[in-house]
Amino acid sequence: MSKRFLGLLLVLPALAVIVLLFIVPLAASVVGAFEVEGGHGFGNFVKSVELYRGDTIFTVLIVSLSTLLIGLFSIAIGGYLTLGENPRAVAILRWLYRWPMFIPFIVVGQILRTFLAKNGLMNNLLISAGVITPMQATAFLDWRGIVIAFVWKQVPFVALLVAGAMASIDRGTIEAARNLGASRLRILIEIVVPQVATTLLVGLILSFVTMMSVLSVPLMINAQSPTMLTADIAFRINAYGDYGVANALGLISLVITSGVAWIYLRHTMKERA
Amino acid sequence: MTTESFLELGGVSAGYGASRVLDGIDLGIAKGEFVALLGASGCGKTTLLRAIAGFVSPNAGSIRVAGRDVTRLPPDKRGMALVFQSYALWPHMTVAQNIGYGLKLKRQPRAEIARRVGEMEKLLGLDGLGDRKPAQLSGGQRQRVALGRALAIDPEILLLDEPLSNLDARIRLTVRHEIRALQKRLGITAVHVTHDREEAMVMADRIVILDAGRIAQQGTPEAVYNRPASAFVAAFMGAENRVELWGQPSSGRFEIESGPANAACAVPLEGRPLARGFVEARFRAEAAQLLAVTAGDAPPAGTLEFSGRIESVSYPGGLWRHAVRVGDDVVLVDAGMAFAAGEAVKVRIPSQVLFLFNAPAASSPAPTRSRQGGDKSRSLEASEA
Repeated sequence: MSKRFLGLLLVLPALAVIVLLFIVPLAASVVGAFEVEGGHGFGNFVKSVELYRGDTIFTVLIVSLSTLLIGLFSIAIGGYLTLGENPRAVAILRWLYRWPMFIPFIVVGQILRTFLAKNGLMNNLLISAGVITPMQATAFLDWRGIVIAFVWKQVPFVALLVAGAMASIDRGTIEAARNLGASRLRILIEIVVPQVATTLLVGLILSFVTMMSVLSVPLMINAQSPTMLTADIAFRINAYGDYGVANALGLISLVITSGVAWIYLRHTMKERA
Repeated sequence: MTTESFLELGGVSAGYGASRVLDGIDLGIAKGEFVALLGASGCGKTTLLRAIAGFVSPNAGSIRVAGRDVTRLPPDKRGMALVFQSYALWPHMTVAQNIGYGLKLKRQPRAEIARRVGEMEKLLGLDGLGDRKPAQLSGGQRQRVALGRALAIDPEILLLDEPLSNLDARIRLTVRHEIRALQKRLGITAVHVTHDREEAMVMADRIVILDAGRIAQQGTPEAVYNRPASAFVAAFMGAENRVELWGQPSSGRFEIESGPANAACAVPLEGRPLARGFVEARFRAEAAQLLAVTAGDAPPAGTLEFSGRIESVSYPGGLWRHAVRVGDDVVLVDAGMAFAAGEAVKVRIPSQVLFLFNAPAASSPAPTRSRQGGDKSRSLEASEA
């Protein structure tokens, strides 16, 4: 037995797992997206665009807005952990901010459903505090609820990455700016964030992809129209057994996330050049 | 100490947690003076610099600039600029942006910033590099950008935290002179932290030697080099050879008794507070003379003479370096010609290069210490260092 053959044999199990569990199902659903009655065509895509154009835009807007807010909050948290001058406040924040990371999306949906409902905890608190009257109370269980759920769940993850990157930059670069008279906000924006930009971008892209694939949150908080593509995919399969349109919607999601990944790749290529 | 201090430290103490890093530092620095803070790692020199800069707040004491108390002021309100050991250049900004950032913070007009940055680039020999990022520069260029960034805001005091320690040994020698020349030209007050004795000697008007958070000695380079105030300073300034002797002061002279390896000798006391008892004699390898034992003439008055035996010879360049066994100690002595290993020799040390300090135990004689014996292990360590 040649050495070459032995080497091939050694990677075979791993290769088989990738092919069987990843490439084959992906290819099947890509092919499935083009399968229409009696052959192949773009029928599923035409149907998807007709029925779910609004939901596609809704999904992209919600996820983009959430990504933006996640970026802002995680910069704020990481910035305070790095530049904060009150050691006790920094310690409390460091202890607190990670908790949502360990809560599953479905539980996040459940918590926020009771919290944001018309007679939920948030409105009850606001009413008893006299901020709003019972007549003004409205449910947040629409796009706002989804954004709140996504941001609440994903900020700790990105903040963890960003705070780690911020902690490892040369403290001298921060002190040099302070020495020249930069305020803490300027140091954060002009000195710290540019040095952790790549990490921030990676965290945000991972969050974007994660949010694109979450089903439980839109189902729990906002299952009526417009809703997110994941809920539509589940609906096509569960209600109609319509795998063709579901596959087409899946492919559209994949194209959107690929677009984001492409932005990331282009950025890192430029940085290396 | 200068009569008119521009930067004045009074009883500055600082520490992290329970450990005390600085212990009552009093120091006055005149306008335009270049002062080097010299010491081994962990002596508190960087903490002292950071306290002056405003990054460490002292537990006690005051820091004044031109009569103004700046002890509690933030770093940017002190009229000082710090050059960091790591240079701490902002990697995402170009050279011009790095140098101009301080001016941008001061809301200077764009044209004025460009003019000042151009001036700095010219001053520091960075012409044509304005659009480069720090990663595209050599170590020496980065160091100059860091210097330019600090000088661009026209500070009254320039603080340098081991700015040369990350440079190649060869570049370091020229940069020393460049920084010194620049400081003289600008007439700026500078405080320079270093652990490199030669660097401090070459650059500074005054050297402040720190030991365990206190000032061990301060003075001009030649004063500290030629008249060390303590055994620590002598050793730090290169007098690594250490031999124990016994002697007593007598009418303006210190009479050294003859020992197993040395002849009796009297050296001028010159105001040194030496007491009767054991003394630690320290001298530099290049300050001693090595003679063949057959050389018949007697040593000149005031010159200490040891008899010893060559243990080994090496050639570090210029002079031959000999390890000579003298009694229980081994000392290093340089000579223009090589002696053979095993050869019996005489080591002569003129009084002006022989530093004597009362051994720590001299005031309360330890019973274990015999007059002839020395602290063998310690002196070996010192001479090999």
